[in-house]
Amino acid sequence: MPLDTSTTYPLTRLRLDGRRWNELRLLQAQISTNPASSGSSYLSMGNTAIMCSVHGPAEGRRGEGSGSAGSSGAVVDVDVNVAGFAGVDRKRRAGGSDRKSTRIATTLRSAFQSHLHTYLYPHSTISIHVSVLSADGSLLAAAINACTLALVDAGIPMPGLLCGCTAGMSGSASTPRDPRHDELDPLLDLSLPEEQELPSLTVGTTTLVPVGEDHMDDEEGETKVVVLTMDSKLHCTYMDTMLAVGVDGCNQIRELLEGVVKGK
Amino acid sequence: MAAQRQASSASQTPHLSPAELSYLYTSLSLPKTPIRPDGRSTTQFRPLTAESNILPGTNGSARIGFADGTQAVVGVKAEVEKTTVAADTLDARGLFQQQESPAAAAGDREAQEGLGSAAVSGHGSWVQMSIEIPGFRDDDALPVFLSEMLRESLVGAVSGSGGEDMAGGLKGRLVINKRWHWRLYIDVLLLSQPLSYPLPLLSLTTHLALLSTKLPKLKSQGEEDPLFDDDWAAAQYLYPRSAPGSTAPVTTSQQVRPPVTLLVISVADNVIFDPTREEIAVADAVLAISVARDGGHDGLKLLSIRTIDPPSRLTQPGVPNSENVNMLANATSVDDSAAGGATAVNLATGDEEVSGVWRPRRGGAKRSVLARMVKTVLRKGGVGEEVLEGLEGVEVE
Repeated sequence: MPLDTSTTYPLTRLRLDGRRWNELRLLQAQISTNPASSGSSYLSMGNTAIMCSVHGPAEGRRGEGSGSAGSSGAVVDVDVNVAGFAGVDRKRRAGGSDRKSTRIATTLRSAFQSHLHTYLYPHSTISIHVSVLSADGSLLAAAINACTLALVDAGIPMPGLLCGCTAGMSGSASTPRDPRHDELDPLLDLSLPEEQELPSLTVGTTTLVPVGEDHMDDEEGETKVVVLTMDSKLHCTYMDTMLAVGVDGCNQIRELLEGVVKGK
Repeated sequence: MAAQRQASSASQTPHLSPAELSYLYTSLSLPKTPIRPDGRSTTQFRPLTAESNILPGTNGSARIGFADGTQAVVGVKAEVEKTTVAADTLDARGLFQQQESPAAAAGDREAQEGLGSAAVSGHGSWVQMSIEIPGFRDDDALPVFLSEMLRESLVGAVSGSGGEDMAGGLKGRLVINKRWHWRLYIDVLLLSQPLSYPLPLLSLTTHLALLSTKLPKLKSQGEEDPLFDDDWAAAQYLYPRSAPGSTAPVTTSQQVRPPVTLLVISVADNVIFDPTREEIAVADAVLAISVARDGGHDGLKLLSIRTIDPPSRLTQPGVPNSENVNMLANATSVDDSAAGGATAVNLATGDEEVSGVWRPRRGGAKRSVLARMVKTVLRKGGVGEEVLEGLEGVEVE
């Protein structure tokens, strides 16, 4: 099986799953999937499937010492659970959580803690539960999108939709960019084989003002990067290209999510 | 500590006052026609939505959501594993076969002995089950207890004559040849806090996921190293299904099906199915009854009955007027001897039933009630068949 993107991609310009460099995977989403929670969502990006439910804002659990921490605003509590059957091989997790899910949870918590209008709900907790049913790359980005939808469903005020997307660079981009032989191309929305092989980053952006029906095209640039994480090494000359591709992907995802929220 | 104790009990007890508990108990224990809070009949289940084959990355999967919002997702994954030979892999079925085999085949058997009987009839540890409940750790009492209860009935369902495919039940089906076998991982995900005791939800979802589970078609033969067909469309169901429209000799009612575990409670002489949390809180006895269709004959086979610690014993008792200190003071002034006598009896035995006053139940059910529970489940056209048929109807393609 031709898993080696670096050899086939320059020839065909088609990725393993047949997409071009700037194409997103099929994104499907639903909100209000679980009537037992304040807000819930189901989101699938390609073969990555995530269910998310939000409880609260509610009074925080007693005996946690969050009384002083939550006095100025709500505390966001995120719990990420990657199901044992999510990956290709069944994973045996020891003790309930592993490093990857803890990292995603921490990133989500800090992102939404600063993103939501938490000052409206002092002394309360907003708990978000993310279940990864199927993992095929871009987990953090998909989790951000699923959480945003669930929080919208729960009616928790936020300045704009927080959307996440991944961007990568084809080939091993460890040498400086050569403007004459620019053989490396950025890729949008990586799947798991691509993510394991190529340097990639996850970017999450939001709009500063809610994009309503009367928004004008010149406001398009009014996006703000809220989340940016990168695990792999990359020469800094490629950074701006990847970031631009990622932010562009976020804008595409935002339109899709708005469609979901408005029930199109 | 209190949370721990409640977790190991049937479910978190709802906050009901003794008066409410007593009212609920009285209406549920009405002879012949109990009145349930949601107006269901005794054998009626709550409405649920179900879908199967929802996750492309698993061998089989299912989702069931109850109307109250509790949802569960089950994914089944199968892996090929080398059968390790160990002395303790002898199990009941292996012994049974040895006893049956005549002495003539003794030499032949001795050659096989080294491979262990597990290689022939399968082993219970090949099915692994884990249950994930939000708010609970993996090693908490409730998930461990639930998963063991479900796994036990799953591997315990050994059938004599379920067609050549299912000989030996699920364990037998997992055998590829003497050296290789399938290992089945069943992961259950409860997506919300358990509002009622989650056992029926988890059991039904597991049943549905196993029904939709497919294993790749084996291309190699006999004792070769297993080689499988790449074509997923050629994969075979773990529990064989009759092709739609075909007039197979084996009818649906004779096929081997994975077990379901039903939650049944008894209140006085009434038997009530699919109880809600409030109903469990006043139950005399809570039972988990596992049934399966083993393919040997029409009808269902009882696999296990387990009693579950009823939470009603943890409830606060109501105080009858005769014991109430305030009332007692009034009573003594009026009629000293009568009131004093009544309190003495109540305090000593503690089981004097005063109508309309709640007493925590101490568990236990009459033999006749237990027999009726089992009969209602197993009867032809009874609750068990109804549930299995309902799940069978969920579109698997």
